[in-house]
Formats: sequence, structure tokens, C-alpha cells
Amino acid sequence: MHDSLDELRNAKLNAPVSRRYVLNGILGISAVAAFGPLLAACAKSDSSTEAASGGKLGGELNFIGYSGEDAATVAKDFLTKNGITVKPTFIASPDEPLTKFKTGGRGQLDIISDNKDFQRSLLAAGEELYQALDLSRIPNAAGLFPAFASAEWLTKDGNVYGVPLIWGDEPCVYNPAKWDGVPAKYTDFADKKFKGELVMVDDAVANTWLWAKSMGIADPSRMTQKQIDATIKEMLKTKPNVVTFSASLGDQADVLVRGDASIAIGGWAYQIVLAEKKGVTLKSASPATDGTFYWSDAYGIAVDAPNIDNAYAFINYMMSPEANAAIATELGSGATISAAVDKLDANTKGLYDYSIVAQPGGGVLGSQVVTPPINDDGDIVGMPKWVKAWEAFKLG
Amino acid sequence: MSNGAATRRLLLPGSSFYVIFFVIPFVILGLYSFWTQIDFKMHPGFTLEHYQAVLTTSLYKGVFLRTIIVATLTAIIVVPIAYVLSYIMQFVFPRKGRILFDIILVSMFSGYLVRIYAWRTILGKEGLLNATLLQLRIISKPITFLIFSNWSIAITLVGLLIPLALLPISSSMANVSKDHLEVAGDLGSRGLNMHRTILIPMVLPGISTAFAISFILAAGDFVVPTMVGGTNGVMVGNLIADQFKGLAPNWPLGAALAMSVLVVLIAIHAALMRLVREITRW
Repeated sequence: MHDSLDELRNAKLNAPVSRRYVLNGILGISAVAAFGPLLAACAKSDSSTEAASGGKLGGELNFIGYSGEDAATVAKDFLTKNGITVKPTFIASPDEPLTKFKTGGRGQLDIISDNKDFQRSLLAAGEELYQALDLSRIPNAAGLFPAFASAEWLTKDGNVYGVPLIWGDEPCVYNPAKWDGVPAKYTDFADKKFKGELVMVDDAVANTWLWAKSMGIADPSRMTQKQIDATIKEMLKTKPNVVTFSASLGDQADVLVRGDASIAIGGWAYQIVLAEKKGVTLKSASPATDGTFYWSDAYGIAVDAPNIDNAYAFINYMMSPEANAAIATELGSGATISAAVDKLDANTKGLYDYSIVAQPGGGVLGSQVVTPPINDDGDIVGMPKWVKAWEAFKLG
Repeated sequence: MSNGAATRRLLLPGSSFYVIFFVIPFVILGLYSFWTQIDFKMHPGFTLEHYQAVLTTSLYKGVFLRTIIVATLTAIIVVPIAYVLSYIMQFVFPRKGRILFDIILVSMFSGYLVRIYAWRTILGKEGLLNATLLQLRIISKPITFLIFSNWSIAITLVGLLIPLALLPISSSMANVSKDHLEVAGDLGSRGLNMHRTILIPMVLPGISTAFAISFILAAGDFVVPTMVGGTNGVMVGNLIADQFKGLAPNWPLGAALAMSVLVVLIAIHAALMRLVREITRW
């Protein structure tokens, strides 16, 4: 059978952090083998494609977004049948679609796949990138979980600018042979008993946010310089216990599998599945007091998209329960279409608590903001200062 | 057509490639280091603030120092090993040496990242080396500094760079006739003295190139420190890479860091090569 860890190694070692960066390696033959039945069902489930497209499909579809979310495997039959050729551009950070759009890419982008915090910031700032969606052309979106059907981060002035594709959280993943669980707070990881046992992803935002939350800062995404300095000072107490800052979530899983660390902070539930294939048992849990944060990625359509019919048809196809289940399986993420959950295998289904997204507003997923402002906002420090703070932590 | 014109015409394709894909990007990088970046956009201008940041940020000094130490250590280990291997292949076992040469080169086909992971497998807490030492009861618990330390960066880089260093030294040594060494021996220059006074001076261009390759690649590498360096293994390559990605990129600072590294590396390389020339002088 396939060897996901080996694959993702080859794919993601130079990549910055994010679960998306491990996805290159999970694609391909392994995906076909893993959810062939779902793909077969997908081929039969595009009855609404004509309604979505207006019957004018074919040609190119320019995709820019996280690796794997172009659904090359999941949507293969759909694309072939409709004569659509996807031209993907994979991103390493959420700002890239905007940068590309502003630097000559306007009129060359169709589908954008990006994360909820960036999409929220973009809409709030009034930046032009996404066009308002005509949901009548995405009838399958009616099957979205309540949290995603009314995704506040994708809505502005009554218009919807994106359709969520997948979601998840960032728990701690640990080796149960060494630990019964994880401490109640992230700051507890400073205890000497964790020396040489921790692995963090090299992520300026996620770790800083988690520690700030652990320190009792109400909204960690909006910190003053004093608060962020105090957070870094607190994090430095844990640094001696950290063996490495992994390049990606896949690499973090690899460190756990090799036994070089036994607890991944800010990990990914899918790492358990990856480790299991290597014969290593891992478990996930979030610190009881602090919890963790949630993320979601959504498809949107760029302003002046040249292949808008293809884009609508593609998004609609990916919102079918079968395709949504297949992409969630492939990417080790949560499904956003409620009917897709029943089509997930037990492992994938068990990765996430679907009661969160079953409630309107998405509870903590909907209300939580992780990414700080792009620039300083009064006393609130923006992303550049977070990056500087993280750099100080790494070099400190 | 004159010889000069013919030569220029022959050199045109190669030099054009060099200009387009090296000189122009390099000049652009240099220009960027004097510009500013606001909201993901580059703003042309002239400011020395990024160089000032490079020179005055205390955290950077430690990273520069670590980089220089690791890169120098790596090159100092790699070049003698490559030299000895080349010598063995060229003069001791000239026929079987070719097989050894091919084996070493084949290792390069396995891919950079695969080889780094191989070193992780060897050096890890539960890796091959620790497992062997534990099995032999030489140690009672795993040696932890073998992985995720500056040592593991140097060890991994040595392993990765030996094949690359081997190429220029072997190439230089291939031009040395065994007769030279035999004549030197007849005249009383044997053993280490022969190497110091005869062979090393003759293959110095190859040694210099091998050293430059090893030193520059080690100093600029950011994958090995990321993969095996641990929390205190950040090198300049990582700092530079960090400036070109993420939600708060700073290309001008990255460019200034890159240009600064270049100046430092050229200076160190020149100094070390001068030292080698002094040592090998008659």
C-alpha cells in the first residue's frame, strides 16, 4: 500500500508550515487506492453540474491555493468528462493569491482556495480579490453544515464570497506509550519532565497564539507589543524542552514516528493516521484548560475570472457529498457537507468533533480569530511584529 | 574572422546564460537590499536600514557566527576526505578507484532530501547509530546530541557534500601524472611532504573549488539546519529564507542578509585559500 509519510517527506521539506504542505505527498496513486469507491460515486453525482455551469464547460481552470485542494485526484473524472484542464498554482502562505492578483494576475485566476482568517481579513479590509458568488450556481452548497452555510468570515454586505471545503483543528498529538495525556495548559509544557520530548512546527502565528491564550489573553490575535513580548518570554521557558521546530506538520509527524519526540504541539489529528501506517500509535488531545484553535479553507472565485463557468461547476462538484468526503479523506480534514460525514471511513470521521460545525455560527470555529492584523492597528501589533517575535523566540 | 571574434561568438551562448540567469538576478537582489517593502509591495529607493539591521541586531550576530563555524568545520572535514579519496582512486587503486568514484556519485542520485532523512535515520534518538551502540552496550542510554544539534548539521552536511567536493579535486588530480609523484619520490619528497610540496600545489585549483563549494553550500543551506538542526540550529540560510515567505515577508532584509553573507564568505574563502598557499609554498 502507499507510504504517505515517505511521500510527504519528499513533497514538503522545503515548505513553510501548514497542514497543506503535507498534502502534496498524500496525493496520487495512494489517494485512488484509499477512496476509489468514493471517486466512483463522485462520477455519478454530478447531476447538478449543468445547472452550475450553464452548460458551457471545457477548457482551462486556473486554480491557486493550497496543495491538494485543487482536487486533482478527487475531481479527475469530472474534469476529464467535461474537458476541463486545471492549471494549478500552489501557495505556501495565504497572502500569495492576493499578491499574484495584484501583480499582474488579475484576469488569470479562477478558483482561489485559502484559509478563513485570511479571507476574513481580506473582506474586512475591502481588498479586491474575491467576487460575490451566485449560490444558485452551486446547488450542492445547500448541503453545508450550519457553521459553513452561514460562514460569517465569508460574508459581507449580504454577499457570500466563498464556500468552505474542509476544516480542522490543531491539537497536541502524543505518544500514549510515554504519556497519559497532555497538560491542562500550554504553559505547563515548561516543566522539565518534557525535556527532549516536544516538537513544534515552525509557525509564528499558531504557537504564539496558543501560548497567549494559555496566559489568559482574551483575544490573542489582537495583542499589544507588551503582551507579545510577555508571551515570547513565557514561551522561552518551554524552548529547552523542544527538540526541533519542524518544517511542516508532516515533518512533525515524522519526528514523532522516529521517536525523537513524543508530543507534538499544534499538531494535526491526521498525524495519528499517518503514524499508524508506520506501526506507531499516537493519540491527540488538547490542553483541557486552553483548548486549541480551528481552521477552515474555502473555495472562492477571483474577480475577473476568465473561466467562470468551469469554476462554478468545479466548486459545485466538490460540494457533492461524495467529492467532499473524498477530499476530506485525502487531506485528513473535516468534511463541510453534512451528508459527506456518513461516507467517511471510521478513522477520518473520528478525527474531528462534528457537533462543532453542526451548530449555526460554528461555535468556536466561527468566532475564533487566529491571524493577527496584517499591519499594526493602533496599539495592536500586526503580522510583521509577530514574525519578529517568533524569530526572537527561535534565536533566543 | 579573427580568433578573438570567433572566441567571443563561441562564448556567447554560455555567457548569455550566465548573464541572464545569474548576473541579472544577482543585481536585482542587490537592488532589493536598498529598497523597502510595504504590504507585500516593493518600493524602489535607497535605504541602508536593512544593512544596519543586519549589523546591529544582536541575535543575527550569533547566527552569523554559528553559520561560519559550522560551514568552516564542514569544509575543513569535507575537503581532506575528498582529497584522500581522490588520491586513493587516482594513484593507489586507479582501476578499482573508478568503481568507488561511481558508487559515491550514484549516492547523489538518491536526492538531497532523501539523504537528509537517511542521516536522520542514522543519527536519531532511536536511530541506527544509537541502536547499535546500545546493542553493543557501549552506551546505556541514547546519545541525544547526535540529532537536532549543531553537530548533526555538520555531520549531515559532510555526508552530503563529499561527493560534490570529490568532483573538482578528482578532476584536478586526473591531470597529474603518476610520473611526477615518482620523480618527487626519487628526489626525496615522500609521504606527507610529497603531498604538501608537490601534489597539493598541483591540485590547488581543485581544492580551492571544493572548499568553496563545500563552504558556500554549507553556509547557505537552510534545509539541513531545519531538518536536523534542532531549536538552536538556525543558520543564516534559515534567516534569509524566512524573509521571503509567510504573511510578513521582508525581501529587502532578506536581500541584505544574502549580500552580507556573500561578502563574509568571499572574505573567509580568500583568507583560507591564502593560508593554504602559504602552507604549501616551497
